[in-house]
Amino acid sequence: MAFLEINRLHKQYGAVEVLKGVDITIEEGGFLVLVGPSGCGKSTLLNTIAGLEGITSGEICIDGKVVNDLHPSKRDIAMVFQSYALYPSMSVGENIAFGLEMRGVSKADRQKAIEGVAAMLQIEHLLKRRPGQLSGGQRQRVAMGRALVRDPKLFLFDEPLSNLDAKLRVDMRTEIKRLHQKLGTTIVYVTHDQIEAMTLATQIAVLKDGVLQQVGTPDEVYSKPANMFVADFMGSPTMNLIDAKIANGDGTLAVEIPQRDRSLSLPVPQPPSSLQSYSGKSVVLGIRPEDITDLDGADPKAEHIAQAPCSVEVVEPTGADTFVVTQLGGKEVTGRMRNATGLSVGEDVPFAFNMGKIHFFDPATELRIA
Amino acid sequence: MPARLALARATSEVAIEMIERLQTYLPRLVLSPSFVLILLFVYGFIVFTGYLSMSDSRMLPSFGFVGLENFGKLFNLRHWSIALKNLAIFGILYIVICTVIGLGLAILLDMKIRGEGVLRPIYLYPMALSFIVTGTAWKWFLDPGIGLEHVMHLWGWESFSFNWIKSREMAIYTVVIAAVWQSSGFVMAMFLAGLRGIDNEILKAAQIDGASNWQLYRRIVIPMLRPAFLSAFVVLAHLAIKAYDLVIALTNGGPGRATELPATFMYSYSFTRNQMGIGASSAVIMLMMIASIIIPYLYSELREKKS
Amino acid sequence: MSAASKDTALRTGAIARAVIYSVLIVFAVFYLLPLFVMLVNSVKPLDEIRQGNMLAFPQAFTIEPWIQAWGEAQIGVQPTGLKPYFVNSLVMVIPAVAISTFLGAINGYVLTKWQFPGHRIVFGLMLFSCFIPFQIVLIPMARILGLLDLAGTTSGLVLVHVVYGLGFTTLFFRNYYDAFPTELIRAATIDGAGFFRIFRRILLPSSGPIIVVTVIWQFTNVWNDFLFGASFADFDSQPMTVALNNLVSSSTGVKEYNVHFAGAILAALPTLIVYVVSGRYFVRGLMAGAVKG
Repeated sequence: MAFLEINRLHKQYGAVEVLKGVDITIEEGGFLVLVGPSGCGKSTLLNTIAGLEGITSGEICIDGKVVNDLHPSKRDIAMVFQSYALYPSMSVGENIAFGLEMRGVSKADRQKAIEGVAAMLQIEHLLKRRPGQLSGGQRQRVAMGRALVRDPKLFLFDEPLSNLDAKLRVDMRTEIKRLHQKLGTTIVYVTHDQIEAMTLATQIAVLKDGVLQQVGTPDEVYSKPANMFVADFMGSPTMNLIDAKIANGDGTLAVEIPQRDRSLSLPVPQPPSSLQSYSGKSVVLGIRPEDITDLDGADPKAEHIAQAPCSVEVVEPTGADTFVVTQLGGKEVTGRMRNATGLSVGEDVPFAFNMGKIHFFDPATELRIA
Repeated sequence: MPARLALARATSEVAIEMIERLQTYLPRLVLSPSFVLILLFVYGFIVFTGYLSMSDSRMLPSFGFVGLENFGKLFNLRHWSIALKNLAIFGILYIVICTVIGLGLAILLDMKIRGEGVLRPIYLYPMALSFIVTGTAWKWFLDPGIGLEHVMHLWGWESFSFNWIKSREMAIYTVVIAAVWQSSGFVMAMFLAGLRGIDNEILKAAQIDGASNWQLYRRIVIPMLRPAFLSAFVVLAHLAIKAYDLVIALTNGGPGRATELPATFMYSYSFTRNQMGIGASSAVIMLMMIASIIIPYLYSELREKKS
Repeated sequence: MSAASKDTALRTGAIARAVIYSVLIVFAVFYLLPLFVMLVNSVKPLDEIRQGNMLAFPQAFTIEPWIQAWGEAQIGVQPTGLKPYFVNSLVMVIPAVAISTFLGAINGYVLTKWQFPGHRIVFGLMLFSCFIPFQIVLIPMARILGLLDLAGTTSGLVLVHVVYGLGFTTLFFRNYYDAFPTELIRAATIDGAGFFRIFRRILLPSSGPIIVVTVIWQFTNVWNDFLFGASFADFDSQPMTVALNNLVSSSTGVKEYNVHFAGAILAALPTLIVYVVSGRYFVRGLMAGAVKG
């Protein structure tokens, strides 16, 4: 049985429906990341799990027990907040032990627990300080210490890294992952950063406008996005989504992309089974930038490379890679080239398309054509 | 035994539920004493006074209903029209002069003045004083026998004359002087806070666009101080309508009734002239004047907060 | 007032700056003049004021007017000086300030962190009560105080000042707690703290500045009040402002200007000291009272 189970969860503020029937489950020891653009309802969802906000209908179970009407302090959860929410008037040690104090744990036991957590997070030297005297990274650690010390059934993280600078964020991400692997606790983690989601999660849930778009492992979400929204949201730079048409030439399917003078036709070597029914109809072709390369840079293991001449419009070197923008089907399309490509703007060069990794979406429903 | 155990469990569950319900209502419970006090002592009293204004009360409250008769009498009283006229003179001058001085001082102080830390508290300290103290100080300082006029005569300016405080026509202007002295520093502080809140990059951009200092203030800075103007106006207007202590201490409404204001009128009609019904109706008029300024202001402020 | 220095690159010439400084100094003199007049004339013999120059320093220095004002001057019918009234004011101010500040803090806490349907209306009603002309409540208040057997007592005045101070104290704390991060309340809720514990352990320890602002504001207002004191107090409870006015405006006998000035300074002293010691908070209170939100 699942450890955390959310069934048909609805949440309304007045007439506004923020969560529209969300179903998610996660096994014990899992790391569930809720991801989506701002306003998608992911933080509200986390708050309802915590019990900080009530729900309109549905059911939330933690470890087999319905907690709908249980006070947050009785759900056996701990939460790390975006602003860290450290009590400004208490020392670091008092901050960490406040939850234990409220539960009537003796002073000696509290002291022992503080020391244990402080050692784990390497913040022993900070225990006497006030939150105001700490750096962002140190506050982050204290906030985690406050959650860890309670040894709860479930950890909730609300965008915990979004207030850190880029380098520290990467370090803390690694640290959270290490802690999770070491302690084996169950975590629900909210972020708007899809890279954080990819690196940390065992399960990703993508939300948009209060509706769950897809739940799956990071690999499933990345390589089999359920719809155009997920395809567009996960990955950076985002997946190229090109208006195209399916052509059926004596049994083999091809995708036709209208270009200025003539349309570009690319073969589809492994068509999804229902693509046949789209013959002669419009589809949206999805292809990630790393699957559009220069000829030499194409994945040597890829079996189906198609070539097509494209006109270079913008060249953006980033160091390791160079992103090249061209036009396909009236849309800007980004490809990821090797560093020293030596392309210049206006040039017409052949691009390599990894046709084994393309996606098709229905332009009306925006769903994946499987 | 099991039955008793079950009963015990049931009672404890009821107890827990009651505690949790209490928790839900606790905040409202905690707020309620204050709210009840306000409802009773502010809004209940407003209703009560409102009723008195339509009653035949004289020396003591009485509940004979006379409709709007008191208001009719009120507006036929010469004392009341003097009070309203004085309020108009006092209110307009007080608001305009305080705003001009306050804005002027704020702009000057904002020009990186050395000694701002000394000057600012000097401009502001009158606000900490009681109007009675202010009234006492100005009463004797403006007294022609010992004050300013006397000093000028001693200094050799024999023809100098400044006896406004003794003059029926001019006494109201001495109230303006003392009130401006007390409040203009406060208005300065409001404008200064507004000036300091203006993004400096906007000023730099305007200078690069070629605005002179004068144009900078007239076209950019002063329009951006709109909220400060509004706040200053509301605060000064409501202080003017409520003005009471200062007049009592400075002129006691005199000479004669020359510096009568609605607040002093209300007090004397209600408590010394045994015309409580008329006194109550004058209080209602005062409330309506203030409400017409404050309610739109509060409404817009609270609405802005919402969005 | 923000301490952030603003680098306005206004170009002002030497003459312009001289004019600016002159204007600023002239106004400083204007604001200081009455205080100067009160001070120098409170240490002059009466003759020197009548014949001499009000703006001149004393030729014969005397503290007799101060002694008179404090302990001997005729106020009303009794030659008690201002001393008993000073005590009356203190006995009234301290509980009035303490109670209204405490209630304001609790109200502000509820109105920001435990919002309930209709909290906006409740706050609006409390806010409007700050601005009413008190004339509208004088008559019923006199009656209620009579009914409660509080007429003419200090307790009655404390009640009045608490009620009509609540709007402002609530406003101050509401605006302060509004900016207090709600995540802290949530964290404490998960940690298991309840309504009062969150207030006492999380909010109150961080409320130092707003408590100072509120206490100063209330202290100044209650100490300086005249209308309620004049309306609802008798000899045992009359505050300093009423006594000063009685002293100055008594129509019998010689006008002892020097005693009046000494008395006026005595009445002004507590609030002036508060202002000098904590002017920053005083100004902040004024601004908070004027600019909402």
